[in-house]
Amino acid sequence: MIASIAFRNFKALRNTSLRLAPFNLLIGPNGSGKTSLIQSLLHLRGLAKLPVDETARSGKSGHPEIVFKFAAPHDKVAARMGCVSDFVCDLLQVTPAGTAQWKSLRDDLVRTRSYLFDHYAMAMPAARDSGAVLAGNGGNLAAVLAHMEARHPGAFAALVGECVRILPEFAGIELTGGPQVSLVMQLTDGGRVPAENLSQGTLYALGVLGLAFDPMPPGILCIEEIDRGIHPRLLREVRDALYRLSYPQSFGLAQRPVQIIATTHSPYLLDLFRDHPEEIVLANKRGTEAQFERLADRPDIAELLREGSLGDMWFSGILGGVPEER
Amino acid sequence: MKVALLSESPADEAALRVLVESALGERPQFVAAGLRARGWPNVAQLLPAVIRHLHFQTDADALAVVVDSDDSVVHTEEHERPDYFHPQCRMCGLRAVFRRTVKKLPPAHGRQRVLRGVGVAVPAVEAWYLCGRDDGVTEGAWVEGQRRGRLPYTRAELKWRVYGTDRPSLPHEIRCALQEVERHRRDARRLEADFPGFGALAREVRGWRQDNS
Repeated sequence: MIASIAFRNFKALRNTSLRLAPFNLLIGPNGSGKTSLIQSLLHLRGLAKLPVDETARSGKSGHPEIVFKFAAPHDKVAARMGCVSDFVCDLLQVTPAGTAQWKSLRDDLVRTRSYLFDHYAMAMPAARDSGAVLAGNGGNLAAVLAHMEARHPGAFAALVGECVRILPEFAGIELTGGPQVSLVMQLTDGGRVPAENLSQGTLYALGVLGLAFDPMPPGILCIEEIDRGIHPRLLREVRDALYRLSYPQSFGLAQRPVQIIATTHSPYLLDLFRDHPEEIVLANKRGTEAQFERLADRPDIAELLREGSLGDMWFSGILGGVPEER
Repeated sequence: MKVALLSESPADEAALRVLVESALGERPQFVAAGLRARGWPNVAQLLPAVIRHLHFQTDADALAVVVDSDDSVVHTEEHERPDYFHPQCRMCGLRAVFRRTVKKLPPAHGRQRVLRGVGVAVPAVEAWYLCGRDDGVTEGAWVEGQRRGRLPYTRAELKWRVYGTDRPSLPHEIRCALQEVERHRRDARRLEADFPGFGALAREVRGWRQDNS
């Protein structure tokens, strides 16, 4: 699990740092660095697959640099990533170098996953043998569910149970076809809805459930716009599905927690974190520079929570994390 | 009798159904299911529209609404004096909204007004769930804690005691809520005594049959 990230000259993140919790919900205006944070983790994933640079060379002055620190049992390890541009990072130095701790940490980091669902891609048939891991756009959703049904029937049954509870018009999930597998939802009245006729929100909800019930989840999971296409009243279910990964003990599960970094623009979703402001990260943008602030670090947070809902306060501008106006 | 409920979640609504039925002494017909507010102050902002909707668009006889007190001023006997209104008391606030709203409405659907049932859970509905199970959790204990500047428990602690976690899933929350309020289904006197914020609701609910006759 990543304990903190410090950014220098990385896109809008010129000079800011952030402590990370098991679950992190990022809010802020467009272009305030939420996606950049996720991109930094994907750069780290890419470089972690390569041999570590053990020379003492440092990144070029003024070029982007990102320093990652990790939580126990890897709390003695730090990784410094240097980039030649916002898009190309080519240097990863780990201290202390060559430790067994880094090796076990690296195995986790290379499995980091990031999602921005695309409902058109999710509705398409997928190659049955591509279903081990959900693709970044959810494009192989049918194959992932078919893989789960075949290899992990218990997890699949739990996913279906949760799906029909959350979306009560459905009675089940059907995966049809041969080498190309298609998703069909069974209706309670006996009807069948092929994936291409499912709503955007239904496909996104299925994608979230696919991640939540994955029997082999990654150590770090990033999801952009987790509220997208979902009715405000179902956002609690989305949050709980992700909490299932981050706080498995709260759900009676013995699996390892997954660190989640999610983004949203929904005040309704934010309202659901009233009891856990420590999970909210505000991205504040001034001009072209963005800074992160953890909501729980505000000295007046207890008083603010007494006054009203987090979502309304965010929209009002009291919390920050809103677009600048001319 | 046709009753509507305004609550913050499906779990709260499930528990409130049992408690209203217990206070009423009969099973009402619940109408306009699933009316939701997003906590305080959203409940107070939304309440006039909910009352008008129920009055004109439904044949609901009564509306029950329950909110958490959180850290607000707790309703006391003193607040019950005629013309008394405490601006930081949520019970006083919701009752005032009810009064102001129904006063302006003409009769509809064969009744003068939608009857009122307001309850305030101090400090949160989980405290009601613990009534009869945890003697240290009462409205009096909370008020005394406020007076002394040292609260006897936090909302998060109450959640832990009820759900075994402060991040319960919705089905788990509903299961626990229903299991706990089952103690009060046949006899809610202990809940009324330990939590006057429920007692006020129960008295109003009992009065509905008389007002409706």
